[in-house]
Amino acid sequence: MVVNRKGIERIKEIYQDRASRAQELKAGGKQVMGYLCIYPVLEMLTALDIVPFRILGQMSEPITKADACLPTIVCPFIRSTLDLGLKGKYDFMDGVVMAHVCDVGEKTSHIWRTYLNPPYYYFLDVPHTTHLAAQEQMKEQIKTLRQTLEDFTGKKITAAKLKQAIDLHNQQRALVRELYDLRKPDPPLISGAETLQTMVALMSIPVAEGNDLLKQVISEVKQRKNKLSKKPRLLIWGSIIDNVALVEMIESAGANVVMDDICVGSRAFFPAVAQTDDPLDGLAYRYLVELKCPRTFREATYGETKKDYIQDLESRFGYIKEYIRDWNVNGVILQAVRYCDIHGYEVPAVRDYLDHIGTPHIYLEHDYSEAALAPLRTRVQAFLELLG
Amino acid sequence: MTKVVIIDAAECIRARVIGPTGAEHRRLANRVMEEALNRANLHFEEIAYVVATGYGRINVPFADRQITELTCHARGVYQLFPTVSIAIDIGGQDAKGLKIKKGKLVDFVMNDRCAAGTGRFLEVLANTLGLKLDDLGGISLQATSKIKISSICTVFAQQEVMAYLAKGTPLPDIVAGLHDAIASRVVKMITRLKIEPDVVFTGGVAKNIGVVQALKQNLGLEVFVPAEPLLTGAVGAALLGKELVLKARERGEVIAAKERRLEEVTFFR
Repeated sequence: MVVNRKGIERIKEIYQDRASRAQELKAGGKQVMGYLCIYPVLEMLTALDIVPFRILGQMSEPITKADACLPTIVCPFIRSTLDLGLKGKYDFMDGVVMAHVCDVGEKTSHIWRTYLNPPYYYFLDVPHTTHLAAQEQMKEQIKTLRQTLEDFTGKKITAAKLKQAIDLHNQQRALVRELYDLRKPDPPLISGAETLQTMVALMSIPVAEGNDLLKQVISEVKQRKNKLSKKPRLLIWGSIIDNVALVEMIESAGANVVMDDICVGSRAFFPAVAQTDDPLDGLAYRYLVELKCPRTFREATYGETKKDYIQDLESRFGYIKEYIRDWNVNGVILQAVRYCDIHGYEVPAVRDYLDHIGTPHIYLEHDYSEAALAPLRTRVQAFLELLG
Repeated sequence: MTKVVIIDAAECIRARVIGPTGAEHRRLANRVMEEALNRANLHFEEIAYVVATGYGRINVPFADRQITELTCHARGVYQLFPTVSIAIDIGGQDAKGLKIKKGKLVDFVMNDRCAAGTGRFLEVLANTLGLKLDDLGGISLQATSKIKISSICTVFAQQEVMAYLAKGTPLPDIVAGLHDAIASRVVKMITRLKIEPDVVFTGGVAKNIGVVQALKQNLGLEVFVPAEPLLTGAVGAALLGKELVLKARERGEVIAAKERRLEEVTFFR
């Protein structure tokens, strides 16, 4: 018997078995494409009616195959994604859109191509700075992505289809903001763990389905009877979190995670694509300039602020201050997956900024493994004790 | 080690006991508690509140509340040294740096993932050298120079030490080098806290005069060590417990406490 679950129940179902819906659609004749990180331009896939499926890792699964073709002292998240690929967990995909996100991501993309030889492969060469020439390069890259996708599918991405896809994705971004607004009350209406499960689910199904599901979740959460209790309100910043274990550990230590700055969360969904005469301009700007992953180098007023550190921090991390204000955040947990150098470089600056604005914070490094989370619990508890 | 401190309303310590922990936390917590009650000449029912802390804090079945060792250490150290700004605690399995302002923990750093820079490092290397842990401090004071340990890893440091032994380097110089290695690692770790005087050093390793000296040198500051450096966490837990009870009384509430029973409990059943 097929049970039609709705709202949060459905979210949890998808979270438990991420590939189930994509595989179902694939069996029904749709194409599914994997993508790495948040830089591949999903609107191009949606415009061709391809299901975008984010390539994630699996914290609970030991890495056994990837170590044969990747060094062990690199990001365990990326190692886990390749490991799943090598184990055939992503075999249902018709292709992948990889990207020059960080060094490990870039190298792994190529290794993925070599070992898994997907029918379609595109490597989006995302620039590492945001100035005009870089934006031009990004736009060119998106053009080529569009072209190769058209060649692969034998279908055209018309202006109308692209506009429709941009609207659909923007609608999802607006709905995610609406969901995040439900974390603003004290206590929040939805837990950090449930929010994360929702974000993972959205990255596993077609965008239109995701929008319908989000609407169900929002109305369900608004009408909730069993409320959460008031606890210190935390924001989590940092490397990817694609498994609820870390957030559950933090929340069970006596906190509500009410906001995030991570790429399975606000970082992936908050920026919308602006309407531009040439839609590729809006897309290039959104994906290169407005996505705020530290894989992109930023400094305030390009080249001018070397003498004013605080102004530089303000322009790079001012949005975090807005999150802290709007979501009434008491403390920030900075976390990074071990060997994540891009976040590692950013940690001292974010700390200085949080000190400057007077928000307590701690920094946790973890091994992208459920079992290795236990030692972090004491730090989280001590942090909550000092928040008082 | 399992430690118990019992204090009274005047913050006088009525009993202090240090016992080994072993794998059966739960049963031992019992025994050490019994011993402390005997020494204080108290019945368990007379204890108003029990706070458990440390790695085994969730395995103390008769505790009314668990508070992390970071908060408890900060409170305990502040009681003994009201001018403390930085507390360094090096125990058998971790090293911590605490920033304390007006008696409150405001920031901390912690190494709990690796033996380097902890008491375990000294334990392993004392064994390599055929020395007793308790003798290391005294031996290091006879050093005329000290070796440099470059490996962060305890196992690799062991290999370096064996190479020095093979070369015939005097034992005191090796031991002094090990103390310096621990001190410099911990100082590096806590630099982020912006080190200011007064610095207080606690934990089992604070009993080692060689590490105390090495810390002073590395910090360029005076380092204060309490008379019983193993007990500051337990003292802090007792004080926090007392404060919780008093605050509840001020509000006219009765603080929720467990029934006072000491039973043999074990998870090996």
